[in-house]
Amino acid sequence: MNDTNRDPAARGRLIGVLTALIILWPLFQAAQVQPGALFDPGNLKVIGNFLAAFLPPEAGHEFLGYLGIATMETLAIATAGMVLAFLLAVPLAYLATAAGREKSALNPFTRGLLTILRGIPELVWALVFVRVFGLGPAAGVLALGLTYGGMLAKVYAEIFESVDAMPARALRHGGANRVLAILYGLLPQASKELASYTVYRWECAIRASVVMGFVGAGGLGQLMDQAMKMLNGGEAASILLAFMVLVFSADGLSGWLRRAIDIPPSGRASPFGWRSLLVVLSLIGGITASFSLLELGFGELFTEDAARGISEFIVGFFPPDFSATWLARVGQGVWETLAISIVGTLLAAAVGLLLALPRSRAPFSFLLNTLRSVPELVWATITALAVGLGPFAGALALALHTAGVLGRLYAEALANAPQQPALALRLSGAGSSRAFLYGTLPGAAPQLIAYTLYRWEMNIRMAAILGFVGAGGLGQLLYFELSLFHYAQASTVIIAMLALSIAVDQSSAWLRQRMR
Amino acid sequence: MTLSSLRRCALKGALACALASALSVPAIAADAVLRVSAIPDEAPTELQRKFAPLGKYLEAQTGMKVLFTPVSDYAAVVESLATRKIDLAWLGGFTFVQAKIRTNGTAIPIVQREEDAKFTSKFITADPAIKSLADLKGKTFAFGAPSSTSGSLMPRFFLQQAGLNPEKDFKNVAFSGAHDATVAFVTAGKADAGVLNASVWDKLVEARKVDTDKVRVFATTPPYFDYNWTVRGDLDPLIVKKLTDAFLKLDPKNPEHAEIMQLQRASKFIPTKKENYESIEKAAHSAGLLK
Repeated sequence: MNDTNRDPAARGRLIGVLTALIILWPLFQAAQVQPGALFDPGNLKVIGNFLAAFLPPEAGHEFLGYLGIATMETLAIATAGMVLAFLLAVPLAYLATAAGREKSALNPFTRGLLTILRGIPELVWALVFVRVFGLGPAAGVLALGLTYGGMLAKVYAEIFESVDAMPARALRHGGANRVLAILYGLLPQASKELASYTVYRWECAIRASVVMGFVGAGGLGQLMDQAMKMLNGGEAASILLAFMVLVFSADGLSGWLRRAIDIPPSGRASPFGWRSLLVVLSLIGGITASFSLLELGFGELFTEDAARGISEFIVGFFPPDFSATWLARVGQGVWETLAISIVGTLLAAAVGLLLALPRSRAPFSFLLNTLRSVPELVWATITALAVGLGPFAGALALALHTAGVLGRLYAEALANAPQQPALALRLSGAGSSRAFLYGTLPGAAPQLIAYTLYRWEMNIRMAAILGFVGAGGLGQLLYFELSLFHYAQASTVIIAMLALSIAVDQSSAWLRQRMR
Repeated sequence: MTLSSLRRCALKGALACALASALSVPAIAADAVLRVSAIPDEAPTELQRKFAPLGKYLEAQTGMKVLFTPVSDYAAVVESLATRKIDLAWLGGFTFVQAKIRTNGTAIPIVQREEDAKFTSKFITADPAIKSLADLKGKTFAFGAPSSTSGSLMPRFFLQQAGLNPEKDFKNVAFSGAHDATVAFVTAGKADAGVLNASVWDKLVEARKVDTDKVRVFATTPPYFDYNWTVRGDLDPLIVKKLTDAFLKLDPKNPEHAEIMQLQRASKFIPTKKENYESIEKAAHSAGLLK
């Protein structure tokens, strides 16, 4: 190869790749990556049999009855959980946001509380609440309420800070107090974004409430857990179909609602059009139906007995077990969880990029949507059949779901990247692969990397709980210790999960800043 | 449409609902209702099917309405008994010990099946290379639920006596959650070997739900005390007596009773006492499952 054809940045890139490999090698080791196991004929046969049993989906009368009830329950848990989250988020956002204050003093205590609420996965809250409130969906509702309350509050606070502060400032100078300044100065500007984000979160809550069923919080997840454990393919297929229908209709509904917000107000000065009236009525109807379906006995939470039970339960978590032997076990779990999240995200990035490249989008969009709509915990059951139980199954499960998410985002980013550099290269005689590598990719890279890092932040939380289905890491440790009522040990694991997710958030933010 | 008014309405509606649901709390454990649950050592649907005729029988014998709540978590049953959300529970030996500790020794075991006094666990595999417990080194292994007696505690205890530490010697340890799930795990090759309770294994073999050409038993534990029916300590002694008598009266010669006993896989119910489970408690301590 002569000098003119050489990539001038070749040496730097090579060194970069080698360094990355040296850093990543131990992680691949910890995740027990064995690609060979994927193609083992025995394993392939087992998966084949399981997937073959998906057809026909179970349609027995009794089973469909269970399925209908479970679907309603999942919907109700998500809705009731969002109501709780909203009630929690409004005051917390008010306390946390700098909006409407004379000096932009953040409230570090509230912000810290929000970090803790968000940092512990809802599945962990659910697992803990199942113990306190025993049987039924109350645990799921509360878990969703707390985690999503934390998320909503943070985003509400940021939305209020991001809109034009002048109207609120003017109101305050005119003598209005902070509440009024926010209500009349900021809310009108922010309302669209606030509503849109809340509806989007409701959609996420439906997915999450399915997952929480895996720890006994009721709904579709509980049925799915049973079917998957028993490797009952027909039932699994029916449940998965019901789940997809639910997710897609929630997707459609929330899309319609968000578009409806954009419709300009009518000329007539009436506060209620038929559309808003319909929305309000169905909102009230939906919430009432949710609460009555679940028969949530929140009153039980406020009896003296319950208070004693809850306080005893919480006291059991203190002090956490910080003995050297236990810390070593937890440390190992942290390392394994980190490895699962990183290997899973990297594999997903590679597969996602490959699937984002082809020009004819339709079949690939379908593939990506399918990958994305199956939750990680379900993928883990299937990958565990493929490669046996262990961290590699967890990493593969993360990779499959995340590849669906990233592939879609990558395709959009590549389509939006500036076309001129690639065009210029093509015109000066470069082949299409070079034009892509040196023309299109550099323009899209910051966006691609930002998406990948953002997904990694979510995957570390998911990796921490994949252990519930036997993928190792912190999740399995937590499930085991909670089952045995070893609360001091479980407490250490929860603290480790929280610390890990905060550390990943921080390093991902740092990396994104460096990449800019 | 004005969103702020929409949001205000939504908020009011939500508050109203939250209040309404808080006020209309169903009364807990009214006197005429007997709340029953069971550790989910098999699929919850199977547990419900098994319990249905027994529930009717207990209703007739005690004159109370019997409500069975299936759950998917062992510890939730123990916690519900301790917080008096249920009155009667079908517990394993180890979950009974946990319940005894969490209720400060007040939970009372009333009866058990004759079979439970000398219960065993079966180690199963589909791997021709595994012939003894020692061959399990470096393999993946499936227990049942972590707090199962026959699917976790006692096998762990006997493995320990054979010089094996599951966390160190096995490649991966998984918890299938239930005995029938363990068989599914091993059959599918998801785990190289597993362990489950002898009673469920026999039932699956009789019902031909397991391919015995493929999956075989390669070791059995020595006998120990397992399952019992336990009541919470502050249940009316009169009801406790009625329940105990109802179980002890079950007679396999009576065709109606025979159905119940066959579903419960019991040849006969016998009285039991706390002392029977002291050896389980010791095993749990030495296996590190109790601290």
